[in-house]
Amino acid sequence: MKENEIKCKDVVNHICESLGEDLNSAQCIAIKKHLGECKNCASYFKTVEMTIDFYKKYNVELPEDAHDKLLKSLGLNT
Amino acid sequence: MQEEKLLISLAKSGDKAALTELVKLYESTIYNFAFKICRDKEKAENIMQETFYSMIKSLNQFEGDSKLSTWLYRIVSNHCLMGARKLKSSNFVSLDEIEDDENNVKELAVDWDSIPFKSTENDELKKILDDSIKKLHPDYRVVFLLRDVEGLSTEETANILELTVPAVKSRLHRARAFLRNDINEAFK
Repeated sequence: MKENEIKCKDVVNHICESLGEDLNSAQCIAIKKHLGECKNCASYFKTVEMTIDFYKKYNVELPEDAHDKLLKSLGLNT
Repeated sequence: MQEEKLLISLAKSGDKAALTELVKLYESTIYNFAFKICRDKEKAENIMQETFYSMIKSLNQFEGDSKLSTWLYRIVSNHCLMGARKLKSSNFVSLDEIEDDENNVKELAVDWDSIPFKSTENDELKKILDDSIKKLHPDYRVVFLLRDVEGLSTEETANILELTVPAVKSRLHRARAFLRNDINEAFK
């Protein structure tokens, strides 16, 4: 197991903290129980991650002429 | 970072070579970020130019207590959001629809692993991503892009957009949920 591998407990604690819940509150305990059992939540979480990843990888290249035009308009040498 | 500080200091004293280096260091990041907000290459180019004009004009006021990139993100965001405020709100979805998360989570008919065009080099996927994010109001779009795509912290994002930390968290949650659900629909 990797040293920095996140544990389920860390995930639950993070979610509860984000919600402003005490880690031992009834709500937090219920979340912990639900996450252990719910395939929908696991799948939802994974697809949100994939969504972010898609947008992260979708980049455009600065056209050479846009670079030249920029420097020229700023009075700088290319 | 040290190199950047030196370049800023030289550029402030009128060194054109240092200023050129600073522009070259950030032009691609700024162009990409502007494109990601506007989804339009021509607008992205104009915003990139305006951003660097503003940077040069106000470089002497840059204290260096935050990163130059944060400062540039703020300029780009302001330019884009000013432009967006001229648009009708009916151009965008109402994120009140996101309230019903229970249904969104349960509606998981599509197995994303089986989608054949998952590479972002694929034009079909690019179109889906463009169409989805264009529906999102720029106030939400910019939070999603700064936090999730550019990797800034919640605090940095709040600072750039002059929002509270809870407001950033709320907008981020809604933006993520909307985009995920809209892409899920497109995959059906």
